[in-house]
Amino acid sequence: MALLEMRNINKSFFGVPVLQNIDLTVEAGEIHALLGENGAGKSTLMNILGGVYTKDDGSIVFDGQVIDHMTIRKAEELGIAFVHQELNIINELRVYENLFLKRELTGFGGRLLKKEMIEETRQFFAGLGVEIEPTLYAAELDISKKQLLEIAIALHKNAKLIILDEPTSALNNEEIDSFFNLVRTAAHEGAAFIFISHKMPEIFALADRYTVLRDGELIISGAISDVTPQDLTKAMIGKSTQNTTFKGMEKDVEAEVVLEIKNLSGEGFKDINLSLRKGEVISITGLRGAGCSELLSAIFGLKEPTAGEIWVKGERLPTGDIKEAMRRGIGMVPADRKENAVIDNMCVLENSYVSEHCLTPRRQNIRTKRELARYRPLENKLNIKTNSEKAPIVSFSGGNQQKVILARWLNTEADILLLDNPTQGIDVGAKEEIYALVNDLAAEGKSILIHTLEIPEIKKMADSCVVFYHGGIAESLCHEDICEERVVELATQADFDNNKTETNEAGKENE
Amino acid sequence: MSKSSISKRSTQDKVRYFFSEYIYIVIFVVILVAYIIINGRSTSWTTLTNIFLHSAILGTIALGMGLIILLGDIDLSVGSSFVFIGGLTILSYNATGSIFVAILAAILIGAFCGAINGFFVGKLGVPSFITTLATMLIFRSISQYHMNVLGETRYRIDATNDSYNTLFKIGNGNILTIPNIGIIFILIALVLIYVTGNTKFGKQIYATGGNERAARLAGINTKNLRFFVFVLAGILVGIAAFLKIAKDTSFDPATSGQGFELYAIAACVIGGISMTGGKGTITGIVFGAMSFSMIDKIITALSMNALLNDAVKGTIVLLAVVLQRVQLQRGRASE
Repeated sequence: MALLEMRNINKSFFGVPVLQNIDLTVEAGEIHALLGENGAGKSTLMNILGGVYTKDDGSIVFDGQVIDHMTIRKAEELGIAFVHQELNIINELRVYENLFLKRELTGFGGRLLKKEMIEETRQFFAGLGVEIEPTLYAAELDISKKQLLEIAIALHKNAKLIILDEPTSALNNEEIDSFFNLVRTAAHEGAAFIFISHKMPEIFALADRYTVLRDGELIISGAISDVTPQDLTKAMIGKSTQNTTFKGMEKDVEAEVVLEIKNLSGEGFKDINLSLRKGEVISITGLRGAGCSELLSAIFGLKEPTAGEIWVKGERLPTGDIKEAMRRGIGMVPADRKENAVIDNMCVLENSYVSEHCLTPRRQNIRTKRELARYRPLENKLNIKTNSEKAPIVSFSGGNQQKVILARWLNTEADILLLDNPTQGIDVGAKEEIYALVNDLAAEGKSILIHTLEIPEIKKMADSCVVFYHGGIAESLCHEDICEERVVELATQADFDNNKTETNEAGKENE
Repeated sequence: MSKSSISKRSTQDKVRYFFSEYIYIVIFVVILVAYIIINGRSTSWTTLTNIFLHSAILGTIALGMGLIILLGDIDLSVGSSFVFIGGLTILSYNATGSIFVAILAAILIGAFCGAINGFFVGKLGVPSFITTLATMLIFRSISQYHMNVLGETRYRIDATNDSYNTLFKIGNGNILTIPNIGIIFILIALVLIYVTGNTKFGKQIYATGGNERAARLAGINTKNLRFFVFVLAGILVGIAAFLKIAKDTSFDPATSGQGFELYAIAACVIGGISMTGGKGTITGIVFGAMSFSMIDKIITALSMNALLNDAVKGTIVLLAVVLQRVQLQRGRASE
């Protein structure tokens, strides 16, 4: 009898099916890898298991019980724990207090038995091989220790099944080792894990079985020992869509280098070298947390790099200074539009001129005529569809909002554009428009560094593609060599066993 | 929001829009009508123009407070810096006998007080609530100690100066029946209406108050902006202190400006400034300040016990906020 059996799970949002007849079986003591690209349905499936969403159809059997209506509380009672990327540790409490939260050992009159709790924590950690001092404040732990603590908390509550959602993205190699050791120890003692990850070396080092989802359908499931990383990559991406947008213009290989990054290191990336020519589009990509976003932030001056140099048009750029980067002609469309770009109490026009105004502080008076004269051509060029430029920006679709943000930077006449995941959260039609725009802008001589998590996009825009893995450049591909399969392989390091040993343990050594 | 809501509005929509955007005018009119009714026969033109006189000093302070709240911050030190600036300004006037020196002193010392707040809040990133709580304690304490050392209880204008009469006229005279200091208040408000609505600096205040992270990523130096807004608010407190000197000729470190920080915040709230920043207008603050000042007059006219003053004011602030909430929710529901 398996610990978890999900059968024929179906789920639709607003009539659009996101999961179709999904089966998932997990045995006690098993580490089960769940794979799929963004939007494949992994999170929806896990949210159904955790009681966040209700299934439309299908059955869930957990630990011999048929569960008709899963709720968050029920999942918790059954022993299903979810370790999210955003951790649920309370920084202001000590480690043992986190472990015993809401389940404290108490003596007479509700007095906390601190000594007993600390002692139990110590023994519990020793059994798991976790090295954390129970009396430290959680705030003093680094992120890897917090992740260990989070799993330990789940185990301490006698969780039988623990869902790990891309747990290693913030960890370095040694931390990943101790993390894996904990997972193995716990699995050995009977806990089951569902391990959501894209990193092939880790999946092959840790998992026993796998399930691949694609576009809400179950593609393949089986034992890890029967497949190669390449098999899984193929299963994940399926047929790649044909590109139609890329203009394939003849690039001037002799064009001036406008942005040069030399040995740049910072939080999340290390020792990056990159050069961008006038009119060139370079796509940087990688898994979430591979360092692409962080690199763009560092170039724009939002975060100070720890080492290395940035050169713009032959001059060295002072780091950590957004204004200076803007003066040299750099503009950035940041990721997470709602948080980082949209100024929600302002209208479309105000949102479009705010950056240009930062560069021209001498003339303080705002003349609407002048602003409109600057905005109208951009509105046409970017095909911004708003019924009035005086309307609040938040009343329009994500695609239109993103175009306004792009207009904000074109308004500054920036000629080096850093686009961080620009098609996030916008509809398919608007995405195509953005691809076409990037091509047009490059043809006009703008140089563009674009970070995307959606790999099929790359071929539609980029002259070359730089793939990141764990903070470093895994490989650089020219336009002809960009193919989805290859990019995914590089980003997930699926080919790690081609040049290393054939055993599953190779992942560890390769790292 | 549907397309029609922007291009073509029905009359009902227009009324609803007016109520949600200009609720402060409605509140002002309601209080004004109540005031006129309560005054009955004794209502005169002077009764009305005096509204400017009574709201000018608090109103000027509230304008600065409004700028700070638009940024998403708060300034609790205005009541204390008011006394601190006022005291030093009186000393500089008494020493020189020059009105010009007095104005200059008020502005410079005001800028200095604002710069202290702005340095901690803007440059060092200390929360404005904490910073200005501390400076609130510091400024008043220094003034009280100073009086104690001098062995006096109030800062007093030296009436033997030649320019004393001119100074007194500034504070208590009229132009075309309108009190001078009321005119000064309105002029300052007009300048700030322009600054917040039509300059890049003003837009940056709204942008930062609306989404600070996005504002920073759009290139706004939010640290410097904070600093300058606090300095500007300090200058406005300085001007208010000068107006008070011209009007009343003295400052009492123990009682002058007591509670002004809260009254200024209240005027902003009645004027429709959102405490989370980024929303509201200077025009709203002008009406908010006038509404707030009229409440005093109503209580006097009703010959109620003055100790009930704050209870009535507090009630009206609560009512105003509830009204704004209701409008806001209705507006959301109709979208």
